[in-house]
Amino acid sequence: MSLIKQLWLAIIALLLLSFVGSLAVSIASSRHYIEQAVRIKNEDTATALALSMSQLDKDLVTLELLVAAQFDTGYYQQITLRDTDGSVLIERSANEYTGDVPAWFRQLIAFDVPSGVATIQDGWRQFGTLELESQHSFAYASLWRSTLELAAWFLLAGAISLAIATMVVRGIKHPLSRVVAQAQDISARRFTTIKEPRTLELRQVTQAMNVLSANVHQMLTQESHKLDELRRHLQHDRVTGALNRDVFMGKFAAQLSSDDARATGMLVMVRVQALETLNEQLGHATTDGLLRTLVSQLGQLDGEAPEPVVGRLNGSDFILLLPHADDVEQLSQHVTKALADVSATAPVAVYLPTAIVPYAPHDERGTLLATLDDALAQAESLSTHKQIVIRHRERVSLYSSHAEWRAELAAAIHAGPELAYFPVIDAQGEILHYECPARLKLAGEWQTAGIFIPWITRFDMESALDLAVVKKALTNLNTDLKPVGVNLSAASITNTQFVNELRALLEAQPSLAKQLCFEVPATLSTHAIGSLRGLCAALRPLGCTFGIEHVGAEFTKLADLHDVGLAYLKMDNSLIHHINTSTNQQTIVRGMATLCHSLGIQVIGEGVADNEELMCLFLVGVDGATGPGVRQPV
Amino acid sequence: MPAPSSHSPPVLSRRQFLATVGALWLGAGFGIHPTPAAAFDPQRLRQSMQQQYGQAGLSVLEEWFSLLQQLQNKDVQAQLRGVNDFFNRRIRWIDDIQVWGQEDYWATPLEAMGKGQGDCEDYSIAKYITLKQLGVTSRYLRMIYVRARIGRSQITQAHMVLGYYSAPDAEPLVLDNIVPSITPASQRTDLDPLFSFNSDGLWAGGSSESRADPLARLSRWRSVIERMQTQGFL
Repeated sequence: MSLIKQLWLAIIALLLLSFVGSLAVSIASSRHYIEQAVRIKNEDTATALALSMSQLDKDLVTLELLVAAQFDTGYYQQITLRDTDGSVLIERSANEYTGDVPAWFRQLIAFDVPSGVATIQDGWRQFGTLELESQHSFAYASLWRSTLELAAWFLLAGAISLAIATMVVRGIKHPLSRVVAQAQDISARRFTTIKEPRTLELRQVTQAMNVLSANVHQMLTQESHKLDELRRHLQHDRVTGALNRDVFMGKFAAQLSSDDARATGMLVMVRVQALETLNEQLGHATTDGLLRTLVSQLGQLDGEAPEPVVGRLNGSDFILLLPHADDVEQLSQHVTKALADVSATAPVAVYLPTAIVPYAPHDERGTLLATLDDALAQAESLSTHKQIVIRHRERVSLYSSHAEWRAELAAAIHAGPELAYFPVIDAQGEILHYECPARLKLAGEWQTAGIFIPWITRFDMESALDLAVVKKALTNLNTDLKPVGVNLSAASITNTQFVNELRALLEAQPSLAKQLCFEVPATLSTHAIGSLRGLCAALRPLGCTFGIEHVGAEFTKLADLHDVGLAYLKMDNSLIHHINTSTNQQTIVRGMATLCHSLGIQVIGEGVADNEELMCLFLVGVDGATGPGVRQPV
Repeated sequence: MPAPSSHSPPVLSRRQFLATVGALWLGAGFGIHPTPAAAFDPQRLRQSMQQQYGQAGLSVLEEWFSLLQQLQNKDVQAQLRGVNDFFNRRIRWIDDIQVWGQEDYWATPLEAMGKGQGDCEDYSIAKYITLKQLGVTSRYLRMIYVRARIGRSQITQAHMVLGYYSAPDAEPLVLDNIVPSITPASQRTDLDPLFSFNSDGLWAGGSSESRADPLARLSRWRSVIERMQTQGFL
């Protein structure tokens, strides 16, 4: 039985006991008092009557008149005068007057009062005995009325007491249920923090659990910082902080082969001309400073990602990967300005020939790099101040104008997206869920996300698309009940209207909601993490799970996720790519997996290419895998 | 003689103590009062007399006990005479106001014997109680309020005598302290009877029940009965 229920039972039992008890005591004492009073009155009246009769002539008519006068006041049940032998001389008796007092009450009270007896004297002799009994109906009626009044007062007092008790119980229940919820959260490894309740015992429990959560958060922060340091040490160029060539190439390959918006963008390559001469002229320290400025300026060109992808391909070549970028002219201006800033910091003339090449899904990496080299060579040969060469690519744009794009996208979303199914398996080869990127029918064909997501983002249509995808997933679940992972954009989860609609949608089909996993990209702002936390809390009762996808090694927000309640984390292909040959990568992935497991979060590898990578992933403690190397279990 | 073995004083264990206190408390709550022994108790009478009037009172009491002994199996006439004479001789007739400092104080036989003084009703009560003790049923005995003319004068005075009724409607014998001998009522022309009562309904049956009643203590009868019970008469 719950504590609150016990509390209520105790309160009600106490109230009943005290009220019934005081009612009974009050009735009993009133009854006693009335009995005493009536008894004294009986004796008193009998004596007084006998006394006056003793003084009179013992004429029966006179005596009868006296008895009648006394009796007719109406307060007497019976007055009897007997002679010394005990035979009745005069008798007056009245019917029992019942009034409005219920019979059960009279039986319950049943006054027991002896009749008043007095002897009448005739000179020295005794004349007779007077016996007198009072009418009890008045006493019953008055006791009944006062009982009713008392009961009414007690009812009123009881109602007030119950109202007060309700407030008190609520005051206990509310913080108690919060504490219980927190304890359940912690047992599910969601290390939440709540406001301390005012009740002392609950406050102590809450304080202890809050401290626990804070400790876990601190521990996670430390661990992920350590991991981050290790990663920097292993993956970055010591001098400039740019990514090593291999690491950059891994990331680049991962993005190119990905099926979503990241597969479209720009590459910017900058060559520091005559680096050796610069070294001689400026000294190593100054030159290194110059290179660092260059890397940071390049990084600032990517305003979106928390950690821009800047790589150092060899001593003098630096490359920037700009996913999502599509406006070449604008980019060119930004690059020019950034490079001018870099040059300005150098005491001597520095030449920074630059090449910009756009990329699109399914481009060959080698071809792109060759194009870049070629363009860079051309830029080097330019003698103008502005050494930028742009290789325009023949964009296969589906539509020619923005208005057309917008209209077609809206129509396609309205018509409904299609879902692709990619299996995610665990170490035993069992299906965890299916990853389901959306396809939209544009220009008569089902197009992948990489084609339309940049436009969706540009037109702020993420929420509409995500909602359509969830609807489609629910429709598919109706016929085929396999767990489905659906992508949600950061813009959607911060959108209150979207969250409400999503919730309504899922609440309408609670049995299907359990089969849904929602994935948000790792590029989350702190604000978005807060929204995610709220969304998780709101949808968890429906059985939905949440995950984060495309988590790279640079992901340091793990500590902030300790109270969100995530089910899984999907690791970016850049971490998984060729993991079987890289001890460094294995170390990092193992560290991340351990951290995630301490929060009860599963770790899944993305873009697994072959069986060797798959085996290696499970060896380092990853829970699941997906990608071209993962086949549907037979 | 062997030395008396030294007993350790009876010490209640904590649990016994609590249980006793609890039982007493519960008993008090339920109205179970320890009733004083409602019976004739010579030992208690001696104690009461010793406490209140000392040796002199105690010797009168012993005489009273021997009177009871003497008259135990005599006939009623002899009992009436013996009792009447005993109290008329032992007790001096003095107004209550001088004896007790009250206008009208009903003394118990023990108080009357102890003081050796008393008012008319003190004689009547003492005779009544003694006769009852000798086995005369209260049905035959009534205290009678009378108007008395003292001597040959026309001065009248409120007085009380004890009447013995051989039958309820019979002429009573009057036990009085003004006229020491027992006479039939008709010969007592100096007395006018007004009203009579006895203790029927007061202590006959379970009278102890009314003792707890604060209103009942107002009655003189009840008050004297109560005192007699504590002193050991009843």
